[in-house]
Amino acid sequence: MSKVMSMKEAIAANVRSGDFLFIGGYVCRTPFSAIHEIIRQRITDLTITRSNAADDFDMMIGAGCVKRFIATFLSLGVYGLGRCFRRSLEKGIPRKIELEEYTNLALPMMLMAGAMGMPFVPIRDMAGSDLLKVKSFMGEDKYKLIESPFDGRPTILVPALNPDVGIIHVQQADEFGNAQMWGIGGDCMYGANASKKVIVSCERIVSRETVGKDPSRTIVPGGRVVAVVEEPYGSHPGYTPGFYDADFSFGYLYQQASNTEEGFKAFLDEWVYGMEDRTAYIQHYIQKFGYEAYKKLGAEFDYSFPVSYAY
Amino acid sequence: MSDFSGDYIKPELMACCGAREIEDNNVVIVGTGFPTMSANIAKYTHAPNAVLMQESGVIDAQPKRPALSVGDPCLNPGAAMIGGLVDIMGMLLQAGHVDVGFLSGSQVDRFGNINTTVIGPYEAPKTRLPGSGGANPIGCLARKTLIIALHDKRRLAHKVDFITTPGYIDGPGAREKWGMPENTGPHVLITNKAVLRFDKDTKEAYLASYHPGSTIEEIRDNTPWDLKVSDSVHETLPPTEEELRALREKLDPFRMISIYEKKGYV
Repeated sequence: MSKVMSMKEAIAANVRSGDFLFIGGYVCRTPFSAIHEIIRQRITDLTITRSNAADDFDMMIGAGCVKRFIATFLSLGVYGLGRCFRRSLEKGIPRKIELEEYTNLALPMMLMAGAMGMPFVPIRDMAGSDLLKVKSFMGEDKYKLIESPFDGRPTILVPALNPDVGIIHVQQADEFGNAQMWGIGGDCMYGANASKKVIVSCERIVSRETVGKDPSRTIVPGGRVVAVVEEPYGSHPGYTPGFYDADFSFGYLYQQASNTEEGFKAFLDEWVYGMEDRTAYIQHYIQKFGYEAYKKLGAEFDYSFPVSYAY
Repeated sequence: MSDFSGDYIKPELMACCGAREIEDNNVVIVGTGFPTMSANIAKYTHAPNAVLMQESGVIDAQPKRPALSVGDPCLNPGAAMIGGLVDIMGMLLQAGHVDVGFLSGSQVDRFGNINTTVIGPYEAPKTRLPGSGGANPIGCLARKTLIIALHDKRRLAHKVDFITTPGYIDGPGAREKWGMPENTGPHVLITNKAVLRFDKDTKEAYLASYHPGSTIEEIRDNTPWDLKVSDSVHETLPPTEEELRALREKLDPFRMISIYEKKGYV
């Protein structure tokens, strides 16, 4: 059965206020189209998670969608600290989010445990740091320190995570949800598979036969997926390998805008609330910056050598 | 012609100091900026078989321009392997296969503990910083950690406000007590004034060499703990012609490194 629908339908049908969301991406393949739709639908009180968050999570925090953040890191990269993130934690604007902090080893392992149906996973980092001293909404369940039953060594256990919904953007998927990606992986595969249901947005919908031509690229099997959205440039201003480059000048524009509360509100009005959907957003981009700027983002073709699965 | 070049800026010297700590065949986790430049200088001079990787999942990237983040698109084409965080941080770093990690911090203390979480109290931050990201696991698990920091009394601390990444924590034996792998920890602290190393008995950072233009007295005045000075203290060797050529011709033709001068690395 086809699961293809619009982003508006996918978010309305599957994301509720108060849900726990994994949202993939690592500059690479950030599902910005879905994030904008969540903001537009004024979904609130979300718990969100991912390793290494950036402008995407900063924007959701600034827009007031977020209650809790299971975090490792949030910055705007070359543009410095996340402005909305800082305003939330330093001044409570628009609300003070609750933060539970892990690391880029611990959190992906927690998602891996969730994906594998394990209750927890042992890790070898966080030891001796103040990350163990600060506990927020997870309380005593943030971690457990034990002696390994096998070698007696001090060992930290962290809980598995199973988000209500995982949202990822990939290069291609078929109508059943078999999702294929390539390029920098971050915690996308485990985050999606740890989630109870998965929303996939993709640059292009391909046939089941095309998926079968290179099945090693599939990171989420279709059976786990509840919605497939074809959304070209769905990751802008992030990038999707083989399709388009990161838009660093738009990143600077976001940083400048989000420097102040007023600037951030104006940015949201223009680029999120003022846009009906992703198509309108891309049209607005072209109107504002010109077709040449839009075209310049496009990746050149450099196809890999075909593989053979024949036997 | 002398092997050493007088024509360099301080950040270039710092990048060379980092490069000199990397040995051939080392596996190195790099972020952007100094770490990438240091690791590549090493690769193009004395350590041609060093393997560089980004925590986001990339091994042996072949970027055509300096990467602006560990998720930069330029890291994808031509890499030897692309996986994800569990592959790099789990299968390689946690399993003990990473030799060198580079870290920087808003605050670094005398035991090499690093703060990238918060300035001021945690619950009422004066400045909220990004958090750990990959820094904590790298500091816990890489065999050698190289730390880059600005040398002043605000950045260097007797004790950091928040230990995001453990160095030697509160002194000798602390890492072992926490079950961290043996023979790991902060190896060197490279600042814009000096190279500090960590005493094998006290685990406290001491002055190993001072950069040309800096004096021991000035460095001690800008260090908030009673900085011990090595018996063999000497002036830091300036960049060699070969190191500068590697940096400028292979990696940084537009000398983007000069932005560190604007950030105070002078």
